[in-house]
Amino acid sequence: MSVAYARQEEWSIPQLYHLPAAKLDPFLNKLKENYTLIGPVVKGKEFVFAPLSDPGELSLHYQTTLLPPKKVLHLPFEVLFSFHEDQQIIETAQEQQQQIIFGIHPCDVHAIAILDKAYTAEYPDPYYIAKRRNTLLVALNCSEPGENCFCQSLGTGPELKDGYDLLLTDLGNGYLLEVGSPRGRELVQVMDLAPAPRVAMVEKQKVLDNARRKFQKKLNTQDLPGILEENFRQPIWEELMHECLACGSCTMVCPTCFCYNVVDKIDLNLKSGKRQREWDSCMLLEYAQVALGHNFRKDRDARVKQRIYHKLVYYEPQFGTLGCVGCGRCIHTCVKKIDITDVISRLRGE
Amino acid sequence: MFNPFKPERAIIKDIIKETTDTTTYTFSFLDEGVRREFRFRPGQFNMLTIFGIGEAPISISSNPAEPETFQHTVRHVGNVTKFLSKMQPGDIVGIRGPYGTGWPLDVLPIKNLLIIAGGIGLAPLRPVIHEVIDRRPEFGQVEVLYGARTPAELLYPAEYEAWRQAGISLLLTVDAVPSGTAWEGQVGVVTDLFRQMSSRPGETAVFTCGPEIMMSYVVKGLLARGFKPEQIYVSLERRMNCGVKKCGKCQIGPKFVCRDGPVFAYAELLTLPEEVLGGAVR
Repeated sequence: MSVAYARQEEWSIPQLYHLPAAKLDPFLNKLKENYTLIGPVVKGKEFVFAPLSDPGELSLHYQTTLLPPKKVLHLPFEVLFSFHEDQQIIETAQEQQQQIIFGIHPCDVHAIAILDKAYTAEYPDPYYIAKRRNTLLVALNCSEPGENCFCQSLGTGPELKDGYDLLLTDLGNGYLLEVGSPRGRELVQVMDLAPAPRVAMVEKQKVLDNARRKFQKKLNTQDLPGILEENFRQPIWEELMHECLACGSCTMVCPTCFCYNVVDKIDLNLKSGKRQREWDSCMLLEYAQVALGHNFRKDRDARVKQRIYHKLVYYEPQFGTLGCVGCGRCIHTCVKKIDITDVISRLRGE
Repeated sequence: MFNPFKPERAIIKDIIKETTDTTTYTFSFLDEGVRREFRFRPGQFNMLTIFGIGEAPISISSNPAEPETFQHTVRHVGNVTKFLSKMQPGDIVGIRGPYGTGWPLDVLPIKNLLIIAGGIGLAPLRPVIHEVIDRRPEFGQVEVLYGARTPAELLYPAEYEAWRQAGISLLLTVDAVPSGTAWEGQVGVVTDLFRQMSSRPGETAVFTCGPEIMMSYVVKGLLARGFKPEQIYVSLERRMNCGVKKCGKCQIGPKFVCRDGPVFAYAELLTLPEEVLGGAVR
């Protein structure tokens, strides 16, 4: 099973273009003719990924978004199939319009690569794959990391090396545009763009070096699984048990969380209904509860640990990668300001 | 593209009331192709759907040699299983599977087999017993220790004679005998049967299933008797919404119980940071 997404290795020579700032809107308008465009837009004081009805809504100067773009691939609510009184099952059509996630940051591209592993390994998930196959990624290198970002520690930013169809870097007077896949090249061909001079690659590194100096948070990954395994019974977990409200916000905003719950919804006619899956969270009490009420993670510290250990220890044997991309959303959203980088520092005695 | 989440329709062929809260259902897939292709190994489970109510993982309790009609022994304690108790022969449910690894009957060079079950925990072990009877010459000593709360709650009593005739040593115990119930046998927890059993660690695999608290004492008792963590296999219960490593619910450490289990060597569980079986033995 392979998903037809960007494969950098097919490209011996990267193709570089210059996209002047004035040509951004015309480019988006061209793309909109054939694709649904999804990009960062302003919502109150925050940013969210949303379908763009007008290119003017796009806000590429965002630092992070409330929810990761995962939400357009692994839907918060998704109908699996309908069923009827006569016990017939009707599968939901998995046709999917071609879409572009425009302006996605390197951390979120890495997170999608992790979801690809979770959803296409053994028992490929047809609902995810149908959307993924029809989704192109026009990524944007980070020039202004946010206060909670720590992708630099995990090698998932601020520079993206692969996994994109197109990659933008804001050089001030316009964008350096790099092609990462055959589908990306098709996108570029809708515009008459001038090739970028080789010196643009130097300018790009200047922008990224400048970004690298701005990170305020870091997560030391050296021997991380070993340190966490040794400290499974550390007092810090009991302290966190009293701090954490177990609200599940950290997992809702996580770009690599994939857990879901399944519910049957009966229609008002009581003759038909649909089976639906919904995002779920290991932080919630009911998550590990079975019939007769037994709960395998009744205590809140067990749930706090499950989230952090899954991200930083268990993803590696499961999917060959860390489960955290350093996007900082869980830190930003936590009511009690629990900070995963701080938890690790404290475990290390720093 | 194949949809692993879509159940196949199956008809209830037969219903056998086992105890006050437990019933064995015989199912058969409606689609002839599906019915013919369906195979399972002892210890595997299916996801059982009642449309409009939901889906639950239930172990298969019948002989793997007869996959065209298979059985689930169900305790009516959850939403799906309680609704199932109201259904009749001829009613339609949804079933998909089988999932999980099952008991390592063909993986290990097993000579002797010790099976230890508590309550409904005998259901996923019954296919082992049926398969062992079918392949009896391949095994040496086979012993079954089984405990239930009361004599009336022992599962499959009508089969015990056949098991014994096949050369399986069957030791029974009950936690309590209600007044007015005739019971000549042992009273006590299943580990009390260790004093009577003849199984010894050499060349023996142990398969156990029951409440985790029971399994924790079983493992403790076996280790004290010289059994090694590598030769003890347990079947775990966890919440599952998919059966195919997607919903995430059943994870323990890096393991997905639905796919890497539900049967695990106890030695494998010891490598997990999270406590399993109540952490009674570490």
